[in-house]
Amino acid sequence: MSESELAVIKPEALKTYIWLQCFDGSIQQVEEEVAMFCPMICREIVKNGTGSSKNHAIVLPERVNPASLSLILDYCRFHQVPGRSNKERKSFDEKFVRIDTEKLCKLASAALGLQLRPLVDLTCGALARIIGGKTPDEVRDIFHLPDDLTEEEKLEPLKNINDDPTIRLLNRLYAKKRKELQERQKLKDVQTQEEQKDERSLDELLCFINGDGDSRGGKAAKNKRKNKRRKDQAKNPAKANSEPVNKEGASCVVPHKADSGNISGLPCRRADLQGDIDPFDDAELDDGLDPAMREEIDREVADFAMKLNLVWPERMRLDHDQRMESHVGARW
Amino acid sequence: MGRGAAAALPPWHALPDEVWEHAFSFLPTDSDRGAAAAACRSWLRAERRSRRRLAVANCYAASPQDAVDRFPSVRAVEVKGKPHFADFGLVPPGWGAAAAPWVAAAADGWPLLEEFSFKRMVVTDDCLEMIAASFRNFQVLRLVSCEGFSTAGLAAIAAGCRNLRELDLQENEIEDCSINWLSLFPESFTSLVTLNFSCLEGDVNIAVLERLVTRCRNLKTLKVNNSIPLDMLASLLRKAPQIVELGTGRFSADYHLNLFSKLEAAFAGCKSLRRLSGAWDAVPEYLPAFYCVCEGLTSLNLSYATVRGPELIKFISRCKNLQLLWVMDLIEDHGLAIVASSCNKLQELRVFPSSPYDAAEQVSLTERGLVDVSASCPMLESVLYFCRRMTNEALITIAKNRPNFTCFRLCIIEPHTPDYITHQPLDAGFSAIVESCKGLRRLSVSGLLTDRVFKSIGAHADRLEMLSIAFAGNSDLGLHYILSGCKSLKKLEIRDCPFGDKPLLANAAKLETMRSLWMSSCSLTLGACRQLARKMPRLSVEVMNDPRRACPLDSLTDESPVETLYVYRTIAGPRSDTPACVQIV
Repeated sequence: MSESELAVIKPEALKTYIWLQCFDGSIQQVEEEVAMFCPMICREIVKNGTGSSKNHAIVLPERVNPASLSLILDYCRFHQVPGRSNKERKSFDEKFVRIDTEKLCKLASAALGLQLRPLVDLTCGALARIIGGKTPDEVRDIFHLPDDLTEEEKLEPLKNINDDPTIRLLNRLYAKKRKELQERQKLKDVQTQEEQKDERSLDELLCFINGDGDSRGGKAAKNKRKNKRRKDQAKNPAKANSEPVNKEGASCVVPHKADSGNISGLPCRRADLQGDIDPFDDAELDDGLDPAMREEIDREVADFAMKLNLVWPERMRLDHDQRMESHVGARW
Repeated sequence: MGRGAAAALPPWHALPDEVWEHAFSFLPTDSDRGAAAAACRSWLRAERRSRRRLAVANCYAASPQDAVDRFPSVRAVEVKGKPHFADFGLVPPGWGAAAAPWVAAAADGWPLLEEFSFKRMVVTDDCLEMIAASFRNFQVLRLVSCEGFSTAGLAAIAAGCRNLRELDLQENEIEDCSINWLSLFPESFTSLVTLNFSCLEGDVNIAVLERLVTRCRNLKTLKVNNSIPLDMLASLLRKAPQIVELGTGRFSADYHLNLFSKLEAAFAGCKSLRRLSGAWDAVPEYLPAFYCVCEGLTSLNLSYATVRGPELIKFISRCKNLQLLWVMDLIEDHGLAIVASSCNKLQELRVFPSSPYDAAEQVSLTERGLVDVSASCPMLESVLYFCRRMTNEALITIAKNRPNFTCFRLCIIEPHTPDYITHQPLDAGFSAIVESCKGLRRLSVSGLLTDRVFKSIGAHADRLEMLSIAFAGNSDLGLHYILSGCKSLKKLEIRDCPFGDKPLLANAAKLETMRSLWMSSCSLTLGACRQLARKMPRLSVEVMNDPRRACPLDSLTDESPVETLYVYRTIAGPRSDTPACVQIV
């Protein structure tokens, strides 16, 4: 061997390696300075003297699989170099967590097992960014989680007292709507788009329902002393204006998309107010209103609809679905 | 070591709870946590057990025991009680919102609790004593707009909470028991970081205060009350130059050059001062003492300060880095114009009326001031503005200037005030606001308004969470537009509007998606309220009538008018602590 080759070999031979064994039996060797970056491994080496040879490899916790270990060692290898700038480190970190969710989860778990705090924070922070802003369904999809909560338990999160808990009603509505939509998707392609819109607004609702506890900080207390009567300028009595809504007759031209249920000449009449409120109430719809009064209310609501001309088509569809459910208990 | 029998590894998503708990700790909002908790059983478990901070926005939405059962590891809890309109005297006395059940449940179920915040609740001395006795690591007590306690309760806190870091009393009604509560902080006690007793009416022992301030080297926030004279303030500042937030109290004395120099020197030593409030009876001649800290100030709260004139404007305009400014309308339009050009980093502006009931004493604060600020302050996103006149054109201009508003509260003092130039309703102006400000979360409307504005709000204000309406609208349609639109609406408070039963019943389902609805002096009947309660068992429907009325609500007919309706969703069922004038239908 030439002198130069010898020179190359020599430093390599002097490097110390640490031997690590995963739970599946596979053994890896890694440079000492890289391994020492990890507190748990460091402790093993110093306290128990393990890791110095293949036969006395450090046995890592079960949750550290070989792939994750490899990634972790890459992380350690980069960060243990003292000369790097904060910018470099940050850039490395950002790229480092751009991996698929499954790998990220396993990596987070492994990092926790090895007690490598900066990596734990990095990976869990990345996981949080994936979770944040999503609905339970979306999250279940992404993380392949089992849908193993009962209806009752799903209600529990709504007891997210942050914002006040809610609605078995809307929860059930959502669950049933989902099923329906899935079925209908197979049948009718045309309506897919609108229904997705529907679903999305329900998703938003639920997300919101599930609580938004961040009470806006920074809003200091009201200026009570001076502004006690901010709105109480009651010199003029309230305009007691109870003009009835303009009744434009029976024919309402409310567009229906899924019209299969409403065949009567007055689709609006089916806009059963009481039904809207309690679609899943299988009990008799006894709301104490006589039919005439209900008809009047229906007509007025229809009038509102015409004037609004806004959300009504979607709402009617929604109502229609609800009514399909509650047809069993429907009065008429 | 050969390969061991490979145990069937759990599916990759079945990670130890620890991983999820840690991930959840990075979630920015509680609604994210709620969504995560609804995903699957293991996440529900992980989220529940790792929740450290809990905010209960309506104390009657769930029972204290529910909270303790569901979130066993909570360390900090915030509970809010009375509806917002309680600030304007619209909630009858004795309405409820007692803190006691929450303190009792916490004492039992959260022994490691460190923080309690109460807003608009009745907190008694017993509560404070229980807090002092039950939580060995209690650190933060924040009481905002509360009542029911006295300095005796404060004494219990001072004596019992060894690790207290924050005692923050904002706008409370505190009974003075002539107890020297400050002296009950032991001499060994040094952990205070925040001390705010600005709302306390009585005297405090100044020597004791000074000793306390001296030994609490970590004190960052100090807000004193009326009883601290100006020269004492200067001494306190010299003992605590590390102060970040200061409430000056009265800040009033006859002008003496000596005192002025003393103050100036004291402020010069406060290199970290960033937030300033108080100056209640400030004398203009003393304002220049603040000059050396102006550059560093990010927050200035002069909402109780009656000082006016060029000295005030000069002072504020020196605060180039101001992000938050609360002033009285004594600043007037020309003052605001100067502020607008000097304080470009302004994010929040509140202008309060100096004499709201006395129309005779006019200050020259009009729509001009707000237009100027909106034009010159690109980061302005939150406004509360009391004035006497407005135009649609001004509002449209403001909307165009500042589409980044998240909170816009305009209060034209006289009800039904139209555009003072065109005499039209202000529908167009407010419509422009909601159309332009896509991120608007809070809105208060005022002036002459028809149903048209509510149509705009319902259609465009997708992110709106809180809406306050008074003396507006002309028919049921107005309310219907709001309840059938406004996708994100959580709190709706209405007074003196011609809204009746029909939109309420037609949109009953919407109410379950909201935190609460307040309607007073509208056109509601008892029958509709009863019907609403019947159909919506998960809502609590509270009807309040004039306490002086002898007739119990039970005996009234369906047609009887309802003075006040307060509806909120709850899982706790009807509450049992209502006074006589409140009935849950």
